[in-house]
Amino acid sequence: MEIYFLALGMLLAGALLSVIVKDSWKFKVCSIFTLISSIVLFLPAAAVLLTGGTLAQTVYMSPIIGDVEFAIDPLSAFFVMVISGMSFLGTLYANGYMKPYLNKGMNVSSHCFFLMMLIASMVLVVTVQNAFFFLVVWEIMSLSSFFLVIFEGEKKEVLSAGIKYLVYMHLSVLFIIAAFVLLNIYSNSLTFSDFAVALHGEQTLANIVFLLAFIGFGIKAGFVPFHNWLPDAHPAAPTHVSGIMSGVMIKTGIYGILRVLLFVGTPSKLIAYTVLIVSAISALYGVLYAITQHDIKRLLAYHSIENIGIIGMGIGIGMLGLAYSNPAVAILGFAGGILHILNHSIFKELLFFAAGGVYLKTHTRNIEKLGGLIKNMPYTSLLFIIGSVAICGLPPFNGFISEFLIYAGMLKGIPSSEINLFITLVFAIAALALVGTMAILCFTKASGITFLGNPRSEQAENVKGDVARVMIVPMGILAFLTFFIGMYPQYFIGAVLVPASMFAGSEAILPIFNSVMALVSTLSWYFFLFLVLVLVLFALRALIKSKVVLHNTWGCGYNRANNHMQYTATSYADLFISTLKPLFKRVTHIKKPKELFPKEAYYELEVEDIEEAYIVKPLISWDEKFLAKFERIQSGNIQQYILFGLVFLIIAIIGLVYFGG
Amino acid sequence: MISLTVNILILLFVPFLMIGVIKKTKAFWAGRKGVSIFQPIWDFIRLMKKDAVISETTSWVFKFAPIIGFASILFASFFVPLVGGRALFNIPFAFVLFSYILGFGKFFSLISALDTGSSFEGMGASREACFSTIVEPAFFISMASIAALSQNYTFESLRLILKNAGAYGYVIIALLAVTLFIMLLIEGCRVPVDDPTTHLELTMIHEVMILDNSGPDLGLITWGAAIKMFIFEALIANLIIPASLHGLAALVAFLAVIFILALIIGTVESSMARFRMTHVFEFIFVMSITALIILALVTYRIYGG
Repeated sequence: MEIYFLALGMLLAGALLSVIVKDSWKFKVCSIFTLISSIVLFLPAAAVLLTGGTLAQTVYMSPIIGDVEFAIDPLSAFFVMVISGMSFLGTLYANGYMKPYLNKGMNVSSHCFFLMMLIASMVLVVTVQNAFFFLVVWEIMSLSSFFLVIFEGEKKEVLSAGIKYLVYMHLSVLFIIAAFVLLNIYSNSLTFSDFAVALHGEQTLANIVFLLAFIGFGIKAGFVPFHNWLPDAHPAAPTHVSGIMSGVMIKTGIYGILRVLLFVGTPSKLIAYTVLIVSAISALYGVLYAITQHDIKRLLAYHSIENIGIIGMGIGIGMLGLAYSNPAVAILGFAGGILHILNHSIFKELLFFAAGGVYLKTHTRNIEKLGGLIKNMPYTSLLFIIGSVAICGLPPFNGFISEFLIYAGMLKGIPSSEINLFITLVFAIAALALVGTMAILCFTKASGITFLGNPRSEQAENVKGDVARVMIVPMGILAFLTFFIGMYPQYFIGAVLVPASMFAGSEAILPIFNSVMALVSTLSWYFFLFLVLVLVLFALRALIKSKVVLHNTWGCGYNRANNHMQYTATSYADLFISTLKPLFKRVTHIKKPKELFPKEAYYELEVEDIEEAYIVKPLISWDEKFLAKFERIQSGNIQQYILFGLVFLIIAIIGLVYFGG
Repeated sequence: MISLTVNILILLFVPFLMIGVIKKTKAFWAGRKGVSIFQPIWDFIRLMKKDAVISETTSWVFKFAPIIGFASILFASFFVPLVGGRALFNIPFAFVLFSYILGFGKFFSLISALDTGSSFEGMGASREACFSTIVEPAFFISMASIAALSQNYTFESLRLILKNAGAYGYVIIALLAVTLFIMLLIEGCRVPVDDPTTHLELTMIHEVMILDNSGPDLGLITWGAAIKMFIFEALIANLIIPASLHGLAALVAFLAVIFILALIIGTVESSMARFRMTHVFEFIFVMSITALIILALVTYRIYGG
């Protein structure tokens, strides 16, 4: 456990050192210190996952906080591994990505400092076992990521996205505090292990606490309808930050949900169904809106919502398994959900990094202006396509394995005695299938329009060469991981079955462990054969000596096709979007061609988030109207403000005297 | 071992003959003599010998996609039971793997269409991607219902319906056959969803995606498309052939079902035109409705007493 504190110390030291050194060294310092701390953190985490035990140490912090327990149990160990590994790749990537921003008088020092703080606080969040200290590090995490988001704060949209993020995070912490306060009242303690005891047998209380925590952590994770900050914050942040935030940080929300679930023990059917249904809606909503987006980072942000939904579906299935005391379903659900956490962090970072490379080279995130990048940026394109296949959950890549486990959980749960469970599961299966095919639609669009075909603008045409090697390497590692986990899932299943067994009970896991292992080993064999089949076909194809003639694309007899006649992202998605008209708020900007020789004409289609348009915006305007009534007391007169303070103190004292005793 | 060899031979060659039968049927209804049913094989060989014309715009995606697409279809077919009702690879939850492997191939054929930078091929890709979003959930609902009915998660569940559902079984089988047949028409790009022989690019789906493929690549794609149709026919065959048949009788019954289905497809294509694009959606939604009726029947059977 000492080694764990050493790693935290390294991260903080890196944070301080990166402030001092000169610009060109800052990100190197970040990467080196994150690498060392990652390696150091891997050791205890791996030990915990292999043995299934728990490492713990209590530290006396101060008279106010008291004793704080730090513990790495299998759940924490899993998250520690994901966080440290992915953060290291993020900082490595930043070395290349941030190069254009160095020596420009921008505040890179504070950026590096907060980057390291974010990593340290994420590690702390998943290991601290004390509610008060948890909230402190949770807040450090939110604030440091806020400062990372507003790196380019001089742009208006970046700043407003950052503020939106800050507001959402504080809504989130409000609900978390409420849940912890309730737990504190009933357990008279701040230690997590006491919370579980307090909730034992208290069904209603457990439901309330879980739902509060689900909303609180759900805002962080990005479940619909609390997702609204995600599509704004991710495009605004620098890419390595989007990668870390989307790949890792929003998973701390999932961690929180899982942790509270451990307090609850066996969940009631009510909350199990709630989690499953909210997650299914999130998954569908996320991918649906991703299809409509043409800003590549916004598209990826919506896909985070989708994947959080898939993770949540896994957890929901696991909870249903617990609620209906069906351990096989519970373990498959939790294992699938937890494995998807790892998988999503891998391919989402990969996709963000590749998208960041495109942005660096073309200075646009609008895929309608891109195209044909595969010729000048071959590595980035290949890596993005690999990431796309993985995120669609297609075999033989990693996304399939976790989705397959979730499917397996749902199908195993189907022969149930209860009709509502049966119907819910069948529709959940259909929802997951729908999410999968819509993801294919979305990512064929994203990768096809961005990288393939001909360039649609000068920015895309004038790209010279691929991104720097220091950016390719982390992407390469991530791409390799997507493939490796897909091909050899049996080596990773163990790492998720141990945390999953914390929920379902370790006695239950043994018989299921072997059957899951057998299943994924078979999958691994099949994928190997599939690979062999593909290679054999390639070899056979190479044997056929056919002359290849180059010609321009068949234009059905028309030989003067230009780049603007290509299919665009809008047109590619339009058939689907127009089929589902009521689900979107479509805003069109049209300038029709006029006069005899029309000079300018355009048509632009924008799709607004219905949740934002019909729920958030009306709420905000109502709120503004309400708060405007208080403008009168805001006089700007200091004496008056002191008076307000005095009045408040008097009321507080009176309240304390009457109700406090 | 014999059954394995027979199955592999069937898998590789019967799809060609099936296409031949469809063509022969269409020729019959049109009052023509038609080509021999072996013609698709000769066509395939001819394409394999041809040179290829490739667009300058394209990248490796375009070269790889036909091979990956074919490999994924062939590999997916290993999970489908053929004669004797046993698949080469028989694992639980096979239909999930089956669909996702087909999806892998589909992903590459979609981006290969976008790789040409054509103003037409993106249109086909868009339609194909859009239609499959409606097809998959219906397929999953019906397969999950059948799995629940027989508590069997492999494709063998298709053969266990009658045993587990009694008299309802006949209705479920009929509905499932309709569902799979519509899926076959969509995935196989046949009339009334798509017309494989049309010459108007604006109305096409799958054919417009492969406008730029030629020579051996086109050969692989057409063979793959034939196998894809064949595996859906094989699923229907497993559904309606009694589980008690064995050996030679099963083989004869299987081939009979395949060719009768080919006759039906040919007759459908001769007797009706393809739907307008907006009506294709309605047609595909029929599949969702039959899937939901199957779900309702299964629910009633399990919980209704």
